[in-house]
Amino acid sequence: MKKWQSMIITFMFACGVGLFLHSSQVSAAEKTYTIGTDVTYAPFEYQAEDGKSYVGIDMDIMRAVAKEEGFKVDIKALGFNAAVQALEANQIDGVMAGMTVSPERQVKFDFSESYYDAGVAMAVGTNSTIKSLDDLKGKKVAIKVGTSSAEFVNSIKKQYNITTTTFDDSSNMYDDVMTGNSVAAFDDKPVLAYGIKNGIKMKIVGETYEKGEYGFAVKKGTNKELLTKFNSGLKKLKANGEYKKIVDKYTGTNAKSANSNSKSSRTILGLLKTNSGTLFDGFKQTMLLTIVAIVFATVLGIILGMMGVAPNKWLNGLSSTLIYIFRGLPLIVLAFFIYIGIPNLTGTKIPAFVAGIITLTLNEGAYTAAFVKGGIKAVDNGQMEAARSLGLPYGKAMMKVIMPQGIKIMIPSFINQFIITLKDTSILSVIGILELTQTGKIIIARNLEGFKMWLIIAVIYLVIITLLTWLSNLVERKIK
Amino acid sequence: MAAKIQVTNLKKNYGSNEVLKGLDLSVAEKEVVCMIGPSGSGKSTFLRCLNKLEDLTSGSIVVDGHDISDAKTDLNVIRQNIGMVFQHFNLFPHVTVLENIILAPVELKKETREEAVEEAKRLLAQVGLSDKADAAPNSLSGGQKQRVAIARALAMKPDIMLFDEPTSALDPEMVGDVLDVMKQLAKDGMTMVVVTHEMGFAKEVADRVVFMADGYILESSTPDEIFSHPKNDRTKDFLNKVLNA
Repeated sequence: MKKWQSMIITFMFACGVGLFLHSSQVSAAEKTYTIGTDVTYAPFEYQAEDGKSYVGIDMDIMRAVAKEEGFKVDIKALGFNAAVQALEANQIDGVMAGMTVSPERQVKFDFSESYYDAGVAMAVGTNSTIKSLDDLKGKKVAIKVGTSSAEFVNSIKKQYNITTTTFDDSSNMYDDVMTGNSVAAFDDKPVLAYGIKNGIKMKIVGETYEKGEYGFAVKKGTNKELLTKFNSGLKKLKANGEYKKIVDKYTGTNAKSANSNSKSSRTILGLLKTNSGTLFDGFKQTMLLTIVAIVFATVLGIILGMMGVAPNKWLNGLSSTLIYIFRGLPLIVLAFFIYIGIPNLTGTKIPAFVAGIITLTLNEGAYTAAFVKGGIKAVDNGQMEAARSLGLPYGKAMMKVIMPQGIKIMIPSFINQFIITLKDTSILSVIGILELTQTGKIIIARNLEGFKMWLIIAVIYLVIITLLTWLSNLVERKIK
Repeated sequence: MAAKIQVTNLKKNYGSNEVLKGLDLSVAEKEVVCMIGPSGSGKSTFLRCLNKLEDLTSGSIVVDGHDISDAKTDLNVIRQNIGMVFQHFNLFPHVTVLENIILAPVELKKETREEAVEEAKRLLAQVGLSDKADAAPNSLSGGQKQRVAIARALAMKPDIMLFDEPTSALDPEMVGDVLDVMKQLAKDGMTMVVVTHEMGFAKEVADRVVFMADGYILESSTPDEIFSHPKNDRTKDFLNKVLNA
């Protein structure tokens, strides 16, 4: 049987080589695969202290396999949910993120051989008296969205009369238990064990529920070649002892901690210094998003605003409708709709950055349109009449007479909107864009310095906003 | 001779409110027509219909042989030939006096910038404001503003000028300067329709005075006839109130 399978695979592989001779020639020269992963899921993946690379069991295995099999990997830390979505939308080649193989997931993905045996465990506060599932009756429990642990809790929810609170990442889930809002959290056992070892004030109680196996996933029916390489590479690593070395490195008694920083680097200055590279990247991304979004939103806003005051009922109606929709939708819903909803329907890829820009442009553009409309209407009617009476066509009268006056009225609103746009970029962290807020989340998930890191992030935002306001005022003075 | 402006059975409604109830008026070339009458009689609405700042409900207005109630007529071209002066001046506050005057001729490529500037300076001299070319409109007095507004309208070299209560918003001591400019224009042969409360100006300058009330033209005659021998009781009543105030 085994021989049969390997023969088929070999045959298919040969076919693939034959069919795509040109591309396989390229792939022979170290093909690069894009691999999505979670932002933080220690010990499987987390950002190394240098703030540049990603390390952990998943990451080390992936790289070792790549080296063994002669290909390259480009790791993208998108966040678990975003990575899965991106794989479904074919935007990346595979996901390596401590993903448990399950029948539901196998509908959409092809999995490699299991590379790690995990299972769901329950953790409670260190002083908690809860010992088993029976003690949870009528209590509140924290879970992480989209995980197999969450699935397990949902399956026993009725039986034990549990209410749940859902979180986006593990560290917030743990915090909820440590602050006493929830009595217990459920997560994969090695992750919980690792967290506790690294300072989370919780303990694991009860047994291991729902034995699960981790697998590397590709989109169903695609990237067979990559999956084959992974399986073969994993086999070799297990045979030559490299696999055990990697696992021991992160879970053994002498395991290295994700946050072994010395005391000195725990001060605000120290944290700033250690994480300056990562923070600067986040800052750059935030600035890029802000500037591009401001430009597009301003253009869209002015067009929509002018449509709103044009002497044409249809244009007025279209303008009002678009403003109504995009001002009415919460930014986060719009972001999800564009990044996840539309590709789901059409199958076309929309990179996160582009989705983010579209989201901001539509939302901020709608707000801009509303005050552009107001600004134009605030210009005395007689101005338009005087311009038209001289024989100027509507468009020229608008551009030369009305807009120059309207813009002066609009300037404070524009400045306000620019600041709001900058702040709203933080919401795009939900679709995995590595801007300042997402960067902060990742760093904190690693070093658990919530207060100091959020303080640093807050100050950075304030500094940018101060600069932006100062710049805007300068422009305002120039115009007036 | 064909009329410069021919208004036939002009009606104008605002919703169910009929403001102009069927007006006929013919203005000859170089004629100066003054429209007088009580507030709310429809004088200003009538004037604003002449360059279609107001849409007509029915009837027709033919200017220089072009029917402006016809949708195919290019209003922008017609308006270039009809200057208009407003009660509240409506100068463009964001540019200088000179820029106010040259904006339209330059934008509409009627003249090069240099030609327009030269013409603007000539017009400013004509209205007695040569020293105000670079001033901001809001730094001028009402009378100065209105004279700039007249210069701005003249810069398009129109052969018809409409005046909508040009002195009503002015302090009394400013009125004379504006009226003097208008008198000179009339003398130079401009076709003018003037809505005004300045009876002295109407008496002295108008070729014809039209009395309006309640959306109708009640009387239309020479100034002498209207002021000395008014026929309609409403005209008599109005003149009595205005002249003996």
